[in-house]
Amino acid sequence: MKALTRTITISLMMALPLGLFAQTAYEIAKAMDEKESPADMKSKMTMTLTNKQGKTRESTISSIAADDNRKQIIWFLSPPDDKGVAFLKIEHADKDDEMRLWLPAFKKVRRISSKKKADSFMGSDLSYEDMTSRELEEYTYELKGEKIVDGVDCYILESTPKEGITRTYKRFITYVSKADMVPILDEAYDMRDKLLKRRIMKYSKQKGYELPKEIYVENVQKEHNTRLVFKDIEVDTGVEEDLFQEKNLKRLPR
Amino acid sequence: MKQWFINQSVEHPKRSIILTIALTLLMGTGLMHFTVEDDFMKMLPHDIESMMTWNEVKDEFGSTDLMFLGFGHPGTDVLNAKDLATLWDVSLDLEELEMVDEIMSISTSDKMESIDGFLEVSALQAYRDLNDEELESLRTYLDTNTKIRTRSLAENGDFFNIMIRPLVGAKNDVLVSNMKEVAAKHLDDYEVHWGGQGYLTGALPAMIRDDVMQLMRAGLIGMLLILLFSLRNVSAVGSIFGTIILSMIFMFGFNGWMLYLTGSDKFMFGVLNTSMPIILLTIANSYGVHVITKFFRKMRDNKDPKTAVRASLNSLALPIFLTAITTIAAFLCMVFAPLEPLMGYGFSISMGIAWAWILSTVFLPSILVLKKWNPDSAAVSHPSHFERFVIAFGEQVLSRPKTVLITGAIVVLIGIAGIFKLNIEVNMKSFFKPENPIRESLEFMDSEMTGTMDLQLLINADLKSPEVLKKMESIQAFMEDHRSVTLSISIADVIKQMHRMINDDDPAFETIPDTRAKVNNLFTMYSMSGDPDDFSSLVDYDYEKGLATSMMRSISTSEIVELVDEIETFLQQEDYKDLNITITGLLIVFRDLVGLIIRSSFISILASVLIIAFIAAYFFKHWFWGVLAVVPLSSAVILNFGLMGIFGVDLNHVTALLSAIIIGVGVDFAIHYISQFRNHLHTHGLDGQLSRETMRDVGFPVILDAASNMAFGALLFSMFIPMQHMGGLMIFAMVSTSTATLTLLAILLELNKRRLAKIEGIAITD
Repeated sequence: MKALTRTITISLMMALPLGLFAQTAYEIAKAMDEKESPADMKSKMTMTLTNKQGKTRESTISSIAADDNRKQIIWFLSPPDDKGVAFLKIEHADKDDEMRLWLPAFKKVRRISSKKKADSFMGSDLSYEDMTSRELEEYTYELKGEKIVDGVDCYILESTPKEGITRTYKRFITYVSKADMVPILDEAYDMRDKLLKRRIMKYSKQKGYELPKEIYVENVQKEHNTRLVFKDIEVDTGVEEDLFQEKNLKRLPR
Repeated sequence: MKQWFINQSVEHPKRSIILTIALTLLMGTGLMHFTVEDDFMKMLPHDIESMMTWNEVKDEFGSTDLMFLGFGHPGTDVLNAKDLATLWDVSLDLEELEMVDEIMSISTSDKMESIDGFLEVSALQAYRDLNDEELESLRTYLDTNTKIRTRSLAENGDFFNIMIRPLVGAKNDVLVSNMKEVAAKHLDDYEVHWGGQGYLTGALPAMIRDDVMQLMRAGLIGMLLILLFSLRNVSAVGSIFGTIILSMIFMFGFNGWMLYLTGSDKFMFGVLNTSMPIILLTIANSYGVHVITKFFRKMRDNKDPKTAVRASLNSLALPIFLTAITTIAAFLCMVFAPLEPLMGYGFSISMGIAWAWILSTVFLPSILVLKKWNPDSAAVSHPSHFERFVIAFGEQVLSRPKTVLITGAIVVLIGIAGIFKLNIEVNMKSFFKPENPIRESLEFMDSEMTGTMDLQLLINADLKSPEVLKKMESIQAFMEDHRSVTLSISIADVIKQMHRMINDDDPAFETIPDTRAKVNNLFTMYSMSGDPDDFSSLVDYDYEKGLATSMMRSISTSEIVELVDEIETFLQQEDYKDLNITITGLLIVFRDLVGLIIRSSFISILASVLIIAFIAAYFFKHWFWGVLAVVPLSSAVILNFGLMGIFGVDLNHVTALLSAIIIGVGVDFAIHYISQFRNHLHTHGLDGQLSRETMRDVGFPVILDAASNMAFGALLFSMFIPMQHMGGLMIFAMVSTSTATLTLLAILLELNKRRLAKIEGIAITD
């Protein structure tokens, strides 16, 4: 989840047509990108999916992430149907990401591949593209103004993928807290330049880090939304590198 | 009151003309708000059970009325790079259309594969331009996944099949038009076929309206020629046409104003309203013909237009008024019709008829007063050959009362026998002649592809339960055994495929897993790499409702009823009762709707007959007149449906409605005849010439009225079979009601003249 925060943070950087402001927008993006993050993070999450008829599905997940969220392992704790299902993700810079799923009913680990970056992750409104880190230099940034959002003074930044960079979004409009340099609202536009997703982020401070407290993502076109609420967050606990292995998927954390 | 009306025309003709035209134009300003609505789905009632179920299904699973686009070259395999690139372009452009929810084709489908332990959900056609290796891989996948192949390709592999799922609430007519633009852009070099109930409901209304409007123009010309030939006077025919045109402007203006003021869809002008102008034309023409012919007869006696107009109106004011209110009453019965637009239809045409009555008793006589008539002209001074023929015909009828009565009774008995042979049919394919391109396309899709009809089974049960899924599987197998069902799709198929994939693509595992936990794990696994929306047309969010869709070849309404009965019997078995299954889909809605329309049309006919009898009894001051007034109408109704049964004209919503409407128009003849008979009875008593005089007076205008309306038999040349039937019914209704009036009614009046004289208080002398 931190990757999402980081990604949106990068998207905040903008470049105004005038050189003077272009520099400023880029600098904001860079500042967000370079914001210090914990070495590892353990948390419990409640993920609530709501469809356009107002029907909901709720899951409780336990997550451990490291290496700036490039490695992550999650276990489903509830609902009972899903209990024990576990997922391991390792992002690679030079090859396809590695994803494995433990299916307790079949007693099998299955590797998962999604080449379609726009696909939903776990039936949520977050796509794989939303969850993978984005490179600062792959976007151009433009400062669109300033606005107070929910009492927070924000920059309004537009980020657009540079030519040759394939993305499923045409552009983002992000509202960045001036005080903390974190995004609090982000709007993603599809390739037809129609608003596709609106994301609202809330943070808590722990050990000097801005950590996600709640993320709300709404697919405005499908009228579907996902709310992720984080609790029991622990950071810099010294997670062992060998935790991120297939064999650990089968062991539910205490 | 009657004299006041007559005075307006006779004493103030110019003022009357200006006033009626001004009022017509004032109402005509409503044309600014007149709106044509070609979305057939809007016209369906929302409160019938099958519609409510279907709407629930659409809310939960998205639209189920799919449209189909097939394209290719007969005999040439389409799985090649060029054709797949075209499919890609077409699919993408169709997906871009605003009212499209989903496009299902090879270019947009996903494939599930098991690759080195991966469950890979990826695009079936990954790129627009495929190389040989990718083509081979695609071909292999389709060969091993027969359901996807059946859905996406023609049986011989020479045509692609694209299924288009519109958004719920999409305007099918606009969508069809947009889709055709996409096809025109990419598919010039291909043989193209369209189909699906959604497509037909979108494409048909505008086509039918255009076709009818074109043929109506031909009908108008025909009517003009018949009137000119019979009346032999351009001014007389011109004034009848003036009455018709002003009535039409008034009616459409009223329709526009009502739409503007009420904002109700009931006043949209849709395909069901297509018959409105034709009906009003015949009614306004009828009023005009009676006034003109009576005027000419009176002119022969006294040569003075004012006196002739006064005498004509004295004689016709009551019958025209009566015919107007009886027809209005009949049309207002449509307010209780199950289709909302028919309420607007009833109101608007009633206003048009009321205005046609005002025009024919004020505007038309004013023109007759103002026009300088030559009393020695052939039109005025001599009856035409046609008129003389009608008089001779009347003489023959009146001299053979028993023969006429027995013949009439036999004909009615034949009609009653024919009614039992009536066939109800609403398959839209039967709307087209065999050589029609739309029908050819539908037949092509029926024979080469999955067909273009679909039926849904809504299952209310725990759709993660293996027991439930296995029962769904057996229900689908039962469906697929039916000769018309080409393919059945449900969440059970997807689960079976996932089960196979997780077991390294082993076909032995293409089964429903044995535990609920396993089913759930499969869904979880899919959600890691597939779009959750992939299942939205198969299962609801809580996995408590599922939809099993059967693709079908076109079948007749009676076969649908049969199939539904078979399915219901199958589902009655103990095993399936807990699944709480409802059969739904547009086909079921149509089946119920048609039943509803036909029932309501019969009720409307019955109500019309009773109202007409009541009104006639009230104004002619005795119940016996009421009974006599509906004799020709009732015998024509029986004969109409009887002959439809005998000659195999299907009873559908169009023919049922039209029968009710057209026969309602035919009642006018009886009112005119009875009214003149009473007039003669009062003026001359039982002088032996009573029926002959009535026949001379009314016979010609009745026949001329009927003959000129028969020009709308031009609809027989329509490309749509129901419209041909409409033309045929128009001719038949005119022949049957006018003949019944001039034979059955004339004889009944003649045979009962003493009794009627007594009712009217006229002294009877031997």
